[in-house]
Amino acid sequence: MVSTELLGQSIVNGLLLGGIYVTVGVGFALVFGVLEIIDFAVGEYVMLGAFMGAIVAPVVGGEGLFVVPLAFVAFFLVGMIVQPFLHHVTTGDRPMPLLMGLVFTFGLAIFMRGSVLTIFGPNTRAVPTKTLEGGIDVTGIGTFPEVRVVTAVVGVLALVAFMYYLYRTTGGTAIRAIAEDRDIARLMGVNINRYQSIAYGVYAGLTATGGVFIGLIYSAGPGMGLQYTAFAFFMIVLAGLGYLPGIIISGLVLGLAQSLTAVYIGGELVFFVLFGMIYVLLLVRPEGLLGKGEVS
Amino acid sequence: MGAENDLSIRNRIQALLDRDDAHLWLFAAGTLFLTVLPLALNTFWTRIALGVLLWVGLAQSWNMIGGYAGYLDFGHGAYFGAGAFVTGIVMTELELPFVAGLLIAGVFCAVLAYAVGVPTLRLSGAYFAIATWAFAEAIKELALIIEITGGTYGMTIPTGPGTAGIPLVGWPDEMFFYYLMLVLTLGTIALAYWLFEHSEFGFRVKAIRDHEDAAQSLGIDATKIKRRVYVLSCAIAALFGSANAYYITFVHPNDVLAPIITDQMIIMALLGGLGTIGGPIIGGVLIFLLNRMTSLFLGQTTLYLPLIGVLIMGIVLFAPSGVVGILRGEVGREDVKRNLRELAEKFNIL
Repeated sequence: MVSTELLGQSIVNGLLLGGIYVTVGVGFALVFGVLEIIDFAVGEYVMLGAFMGAIVAPVVGGEGLFVVPLAFVAFFLVGMIVQPFLHHVTTGDRPMPLLMGLVFTFGLAIFMRGSVLTIFGPNTRAVPTKTLEGGIDVTGIGTFPEVRVVTAVVGVLALVAFMYYLYRTTGGTAIRAIAEDRDIARLMGVNINRYQSIAYGVYAGLTATGGVFIGLIYSAGPGMGLQYTAFAFFMIVLAGLGYLPGIIISGLVLGLAQSLTAVYIGGELVFFVLFGMIYVLLLVRPEGLLGKGEVS
Repeated sequence: MGAENDLSIRNRIQALLDRDDAHLWLFAAGTLFLTVLPLALNTFWTRIALGVLLWVGLAQSWNMIGGYAGYLDFGHGAYFGAGAFVTGIVMTELELPFVAGLLIAGVFCAVLAYAVGVPTLRLSGAYFAIATWAFAEAIKELALIIEITGGTYGMTIPTGPGTAGIPLVGWPDEMFFYYLMLVLTLGTIALAYWLFEHSEFGFRVKAIRDHEDAAQSLGIDATKIKRRVYVLSCAIAALFGSANAYYITFVHPNDVLAPIITDQMIIMALLGGLGTIGGPIIGGVLIFLLNRMTSLFLGQTTLYLPLIGVLIMGIVLFAPSGVVGILRGEVGREDVKRNLRELAEKFNIL
């Protein structure tokens, strides 16, 4: 029998998860819009963020939440360093720049996954937390683990800060200008190198932050990246490639879909349905379900 | 003076390699060498040589769609795995010999590739790459769910005398598989050479890669040509998947449908040189040996991954035309310096 309590719980759980997925997807969509790069390494930034949580948390008093700002700063810097390479391989007179960009991020992903696997071994690790061990009672719906609620709230705050930066500051305007037309933005005096690096840095930072959250909720393992790469692809395909606000909806849809399929249909089908949907959506609606993405 | 000499020798080799009869002689010499090679090898090294042949053939098959046609198939491994499972199903459920399994796998996957190619090849660039990638992952998940592939238990392929379907002296052993792979790989190379370097078809394919709209305006039916290349390259991957399945005797979705299979094909073709015949051969040999040697001598099976990652990034950055490009003199010290200078400029972010 389907109880309303279970349904309500699954929905709230799904929305909480979706909030975290949005932090992963939104940077990814930004990078596609600004750099015109599909980053195969997106899931690996999630994995690295989660691993950073597992390894750094014991040093900072055994609290995974403290790692969140550290992860953002650390991977912002990593992203700033990675971006010029990406910019370089996708521009200039090389043959098939798109292929080069894709393959480069592909190499980056293998490098990240392989390095973590080689250095830390194949085992999964927990991201410790002291404060978030209890549950929160919501009358009429049920009890939710604190960790899920708090991570979702922090995730939404990060998202709001990101949106504020993108739509209300000079830097954000510059980034959006590049997304619209790189050459004209350059003519208007926008430092392309700087703002592309910042955009990629913000993306890497946000994604790794999402990784710490995911590590807190589940755990950190070197093989976890691929799943989140799939999630990120799913979100941008659903939202329409390059359409940022759509990510908020598609992220929540993804969280809901995951939570509801796991409860009502069974876990083993989740990925088949997910990948199948990415494939079919690309064929029938490459501009995204919301119809506002770019079509090549 | 030394440098000038080098240059002239290189030029002379280049001139020699550009001649068609030289290609033929090279191919004949290679065939002869590879035919007698196993006589000098023990079982262990025969297996390594067999693996090299398998991967050279797979990389060559990816190179057809990815290198020559310029369509980034990130799901090519799906056909390698499908070939393996079709062979297994034919041999266990229908109790037919391996030869039948091989042929049916090839035909089945060609039909599958046609059905998949029609809608998917309408996409281009990143969209095609993501779609094929998602398709391959969906196939893998499907194989883990449905019963006929053995689900999460995998599938055991019948072995022993009589299962091959061709008269053999005794058991199908390493020698049998070596020569099977040799025939498949040499056949693939010869076919690729003839099709893409030596016929009008190849020029059409390359025209589509370099400028699809312009090619179409010249009366080339791009849709049809792309589909043919896709079907051919996928069917070849399926044949290798089938032969490999009979060789390893146990197939599991997490092995034969693993994304790393596609990854390796792409990397090999890229490292050697995309859209060339020599590229996948050189890349296949180098990467496969790197893989084996790191696990053999370092006792490490994962160190290979970061090495591969760095290798890919380095190739993309400094030698996008691969080893073949370096041999042809397309990538010299000057180019690397210019590359580094341009890269440094991109770091100018203040």
